[in-house]
Amino acid sequence: MGKRLRSSFFSLMGISLLGMLGFVAGCSGSNAEKPASQGPDLSGIWLGKGIQSLSPSDPMGKKKPGTEGDIPYTPWAITRMKSERPATGPDQDFAKTTDPALRYADPDGYPRASIHPMRFKIVQTPDYVYQLWEYNKSWRQIALNRPHSEVPDISWFGESVGKWEGDTLVVDSVGFKDSTWLDPIGHPHTEDLHMIERIRRVDPETLVFNFTFDDPKAYTKPWDGQLTFKLKNDGIMTETIYTISDELSFRQRFLNEKPAIPIRPGP
Amino acid sequence: MKAKVLTLGALLLAIPLFVTLPLCAHHGGASLYDMSKELTVDATVTEFQWTNPHVEIGLDAKDDKGKVRHWIIEANSPPVMANRGWNRKSLQPGEIIKITFNPSQRGGSVGRFIKLIKADGKEMLRG
Repeated sequence: MGKRLRSSFFSLMGISLLGMLGFVAGCSGSNAEKPASQGPDLSGIWLGKGIQSLSPSDPMGKKKPGTEGDIPYTPWAITRMKSERPATGPDQDFAKTTDPALRYADPDGYPRASIHPMRFKIVQTPDYVYQLWEYNKSWRQIALNRPHSEVPDISWFGESVGKWEGDTLVVDSVGFKDSTWLDPIGHPHTEDLHMIERIRRVDPETLVFNFTFDDPKAYTKPWDGQLTFKLKNDGIMTETIYTISDELSFRQRFLNEKPAIPIRPGP
Repeated sequence: MKAKVLTLGALLLAIPLFVTLPLCAHHGGASLYDMSKELTVDATVTEFQWTNPHVEIGLDAKDDKGKVRHWIIEANSPPVMANRGWNRKSLQPGEIIKITFNPSQRGGSVGRFIKLIKADGKEMLRG
């Protein structure tokens, strides 16, 4: 009897072990179906220097539009830039600026959202990479390993799809609303802008975005820009939201030099 | 609180700033302030607004004739200043400070913040 019991016990143990092995094998099969590579870890909080222009030779936007020498403007783009009044650069006019992000509190769009000297967080999943900006609490998603929509919407931040090429995330973006500026100095684009980014963590503390802007109506050939960010993994993400009410208050005090007028007076 | 006199005539320094100061794109630029000049005054803080789009510092300072002049100084955006160690309680009304700023292009009583030194000697910079 005791011998039979021992035999049954070991039989059950054997069946359980086979079941566990089968379960593990099943999990292994599931793993094989996951995306081939999630790429290097880009996640964390990143901080840029804050620039005024995507021109590699003039990042602080000190040259007049069209004179940078590294941006192949079309006549349309030059005319467009000269018709605008940025709040930075040699022809800056803060009081009468036509910068849509200042005059109307329009969203910055992309890549301008990354140009503020403020933080953004990257959250990385197998299917998406998200950028979360503290400025205006805005965000963008990059869908991985899938094609663009058949007819991408026109939107502030465009439609972005990406894939890993070795240690570099290559992002292809289209569908940008043409009222946004690429940068604070006012580089324009059309809805036909096709932007390629190559995003790479060049060392543990440094993330580099290399851009190629292809927009035949605005630029005679594709041109390149770059943004570099440093890791600030202290967990701090503040909130700063640009609003018309705050801006009017600021202008009343600093342009008109008068006490701020309550935008929403009480009853 | 009385502001200490620091001869305004000697305070007006024509020092080119070139590009060494971090800029925040839109506010506080050369269309508002004379970026070629720096003014340093001993002053009393009257208000400290940790606000968007840019932080504001109100202060009273005596000119070289002893007359109190009220200034409003524009600093940087809150998150940019936070990265320099500032927070919404970094200054309190009544504090005595020595503050340096770019004065208004039009001669008004506004300025663009560069740096300040608190009574305990702590220096605080623009973000």
